[in-house]
Formats: sequence, C-alpha cells, structure tokens
Amino acid sequence: MSSVLTSMPRRSASTLGHKLRIAGGVVISLVFLFPIYWMILTSFKDQVDIFTTPPKFFFTPTLAAYIEYMQRADIVNRLINTIIVATGAGLLSIVVGTMAGYALARIRLRGAATFGLLILLSRGVPPIALAVPMFLVARKFGLIDKHITLILAYSTFLIPYVMWLMRSFFMGLPRELEESAMIDGCSRYGAFFKIILPISLPGVLSTLIFSMILAWEELLFALVLTNRHASTIPVAIAGIAGDTVNGANWAALTAVGTITVIPVVVFALLVQKWLIKGLAEGATKG
Amino acid sequence: MSNDTGKAVRQKRSSRRGQSSDLLVRWSFMFPAVLLLVTMLAYPIFYTIDISFSRFDIASFSAGEWVGWENYLEVIDDYRFWESLKVTMIYLAFALPLQVVLGFGIAYLINAEWSGRGVIRALFIIPMVVAPVVAGGMWRMILDPLWGIMNHWLGFIGIGPLDWFGNPTLAMAAVIIIDTWRWTPFIVLIATAALLALPKDVFEAAKIDGANWWSTLWSVAVPLLVPVIAATFVIRWLGAVKMFDIVLAATYGGPGKATNVINLFIYEEAFRSLRFAESAAMAVIVLVLTMVLTGLFLRASRKLEELF
Repeated sequence: MSSVLTSMPRRSASTLGHKLRIAGGVVISLVFLFPIYWMILTSFKDQVDIFTTPPKFFFTPTLAAYIEYMQRADIVNRLINTIIVATGAGLLSIVVGTMAGYALARIRLRGAATFGLLILLSRGVPPIALAVPMFLVARKFGLIDKHITLILAYSTFLIPYVMWLMRSFFMGLPRELEESAMIDGCSRYGAFFKIILPISLPGVLSTLIFSMILAWEELLFALVLTNRHASTIPVAIAGIAGDTVNGANWAALTAVGTITVIPVVVFALLVQKWLIKGLAEGATKG
Repeated sequence: MSNDTGKAVRQKRSSRRGQSSDLLVRWSFMFPAVLLLVTMLAYPIFYTIDISFSRFDIASFSAGEWVGWENYLEVIDDYRFWESLKVTMIYLAFALPLQVVLGFGIAYLINAEWSGRGVIRALFIIPMVVAPVVAGGMWRMILDPLWGIMNHWLGFIGIGPLDWFGNPTLAMAAVIIIDTWRWTPFIVLIATAALLALPKDVFEAAKIDGANWWSTLWSVAVPLLVPVIAATFVIRWLGAVKMFDIVLAATYGGPGKATNVINLFIYEEAFRSLRFAESAAMAVIVLVLTMVLTGLFLRASRKLEELF
C-alpha cells in the first residue's frame, strides 16, 4: 500500500472503502457545483417558471432575461468597464509584481527583505482602511469614477499577490540559468527578459489570469470609487441583489451573474493546471 | 557552470562598471512596486490614521483640526461598534474551523485514485472563481424562504420552512454556509497539494506495523499535515477578516444587525452617514486588531510545528 491518503494500489482499488471515497468525492463535487448550475438554469427561465412550488427543473428555456438586461446600457457599459479595469490592473500588477518578485527571489538588495515582510503584512490590511482615504483623495483631485483610479486601487492587493507568487516561482528555478547568461555577456535586464521571463511564461500567464479574476470580482473599491461612468459589474449585482424595494429580481440576478461567472470559469479551467500548482505553492510557501 | 566562476565574473563586472550603476539596475526591478505601494498602500494608511485623530471637515472634505483620541473614545463608547465586532467574531469562529476541516476532508475524498480524479479536481476550482457578490446573490435565491430550492428540499426531511434571512441565527448560518461554499474549494486546493506531498514510506511503515485507518490518520497523517493546516488557517483568516461582499449581497447585515460584520458597518458609517473620522478610527482599530491576532496565529502555528 503506497499511501493511505493519496493513492491506492491496484490490489485494494476495489475495496469498499475506496469505492465509498470515490462516491463521496463525486457527491460532494455535485453539491458544490449545484448552486452554479441552479443559477445558470434559472437565468434561462421565464418569470412564471422562476416562482413556482416545487421549483422547476424542466421548462421551455428563454433568453428573455439576457435580452432584457443586455439591452440596458448600464450592463453593457459596466461589462466594458470591468474588462478595462481587470485588464489594466492585471497587466500593471503583473509587470510591476513580476519584476519585484524576481528582485526578492534573486537580487541581493539592502532592505528588500524588510520590504518583502511589509508586503506580506499588507495582506492583513482591511480594504476599508484604504477605501476611506482613497475616496477622499480621489474626490479632491477629481479622480472619482475614472478607470485609472480603480486600476491603481486594485494594484494595492494585486501587486503583493503577484510578487509573492512569482517570488516562489523564481526561487524554484536553477540559479545557473541567469548566471551563465550573465557570463555570456547578458546584462541583468537581458538575463531577466531573454532567459528567465520566457521560461516562466506559463507561470506569469496563469498569475496574470488569476489577478484579472480577482480584479473582475472586486466590489468594495468599485462601490466607493465609481458611481456611474466607470462602475463595474459586481456593483450592478450588489444593486440587484440588494434591491428590496422591487423585490428579488431573480431573472436579472441570475442572467447578470451568469454573464459574470462564465468567462472567468472558462479562463480558470484553461489554466487550471498552473492555477492549482501556483496557488498551492503561493499559499503554502508564502 | 560552477558557482565560483559565476561569483568571480560578477565581481569583475561590478568593479568594472562601478558599484553604483549596478545598484541602480538592481533597484530598478524593485522600484516600480515600491513606488506604487507607497503611494497607494502606505500613504492611504497614514492618511487614515491622520483622519482618525482629526475632526473631519465636511465642507472641504478633508481632515481638519487635531482632536487627539476623541474619535477613538466615541467609537469605543458606541455599542454598535462592539456588536459588529461580536458578529464578526462569531462568523470567524464558526466559518474558519469549518472550512479548514471540510477542506482537508474533501481533499482526502476527491484525491482517491480513479480515472475521474483530474476532472473532479478541476471542477472544484469553479466555486472559487465565482465573484463573492454573485455567490451571495445566488444563495439568496437558493435560500429564499418562500421560493428557494433549499427549503423545498428541507421540507422532504420534515424541516422548515426556515426563514433564512428573517431569523438572526439562521441569517448568520446562511452567511457561514455561503462563505464556506465559496472558500472551501480554495482550501481543498492547498490541501490537495499537501496530501500529494506526503512521504509515502511512512504510510507503508504504518501499514506494516498493522496500524488501522483511524490510527494512521491521527498518528501519522495529521502530525505531518499540522504545518500546512496551520498555514492554511492563517491564510484563510487573512481573507476572512475582509468579509464584505457576501454579506452585502446576501443579507446586507440583517435582520437587524445580526450579520452586520465590521467591514460593512465601517462602510455604512463612512459612505452613508459620512462619519469619516469615526470610520477612520474604527478602521485603525480593526487594522491593529488584525495585525495583533495575525501575529498571535503565526506564533501559535510555529509552536504547533515544534510540538509535532
């Protein structure tokens, strides 16, 4: 028997315990996926099919909710805003964070270790402690409701995240890579951009995608720093979910929710191998 | 390539080009991050501290005269602040252990070796990329007392109908359920990596010694996993203290103030009541509390590692 917890050899593969374990895993996965399935299902329901007892699993699907809410300018606008902000924040953070992560992993700098520790500590800062002053300063300089404000605000949590993930990624690379490059006459930039970056590309890309997902989902800064022009999708969802005056508009909620979730799920599944590795390492080695 | 040649070459380079220009190059990797984080992270924190000691001038919308500890005294006197802290503590006390235990348990289940293992592992990523605000909204629908599918199912086993969002205890339970649904997959992910990294020979030895499943789990697996479990707890704690989106979408702090976690309370005080000075004071208190508790948890987790 190789390991109780990780794998079972062929011999015991048919034992009852092993079968129960597989069955348990499948059932628990279905339980965790059901809410999303239910949301997507509901988004294709007609209003009369939503409010029924018992809840309906079979019905004539309709795109009514999508058509109605996609036509509302604010949803399309917010989608565009969310894409702009998530891309902007993701790109800014990946460039800045990857370079800093490399510096933390490989370049000896006086004070860098302290800075790294401070960055780690910054994960404990409640975002509301940043949102209040950011709002006041942005308001003073007329920066409320601008994409760039949100992009910069998101970099406060994305840069530390990228730095930490990339630091552990770079530490896993053999030192000889850039040392031999620098002996061959590469500058430090050359070694980083020509040697290190290309072989780290999968890691960089999956970190970028995950950063974009984090920015895509962010609510608090978006609520505080935007109001109409640059407002994002999560703000719209918070508005629909919290609308107690008109009651629960489940068609709107599920349609907009599905639009928000689908692209992210597709991206996440595309890079899932790297995601699992990167996240697990970033979390445990951090 | 030997390490010594590398060092020698580096020394030659640095003496040739001069120490200062190399220093500049080296710092240039770090500089953009330092600049951005100082202006967007450090400066706002200091500004918050500044506001928390000032009278907030609503006309100019900035910190006015210095008032010392006045805002802090006011906050400490405010029973709503303490209520909100209590609510946050209750949420944390239930959600964190639940998620860590569930996460490791589920990781054990889904890592049973069979052909579908990869698919299941990938599917478990899906909940953790659902925006928390969407999670809150969709669970609000699932738990709806009248039309929700949860009450419909609970009815089959003779429970309910439960008024999930009308009863203070149930509302807190709902928030914990939603949060657990959203975050347990993240812990499953870390736990999976930890389980796969376990040394196999120890388990073989336990097997040879005739240890059963239960004693293998408790005296071999758990001690080996303690460092990871502790680290996971700290990471999840750092995320959970930021609880905001799910509560905002699912309960908006209600019924009454039953699920009004501290971040939502400060948000409301600042941006609805425009009490920026008091909000800043609360934010500073929460910041200090978080730092102190994080420090304690880190120490405790190091102690635990030594113990095992």
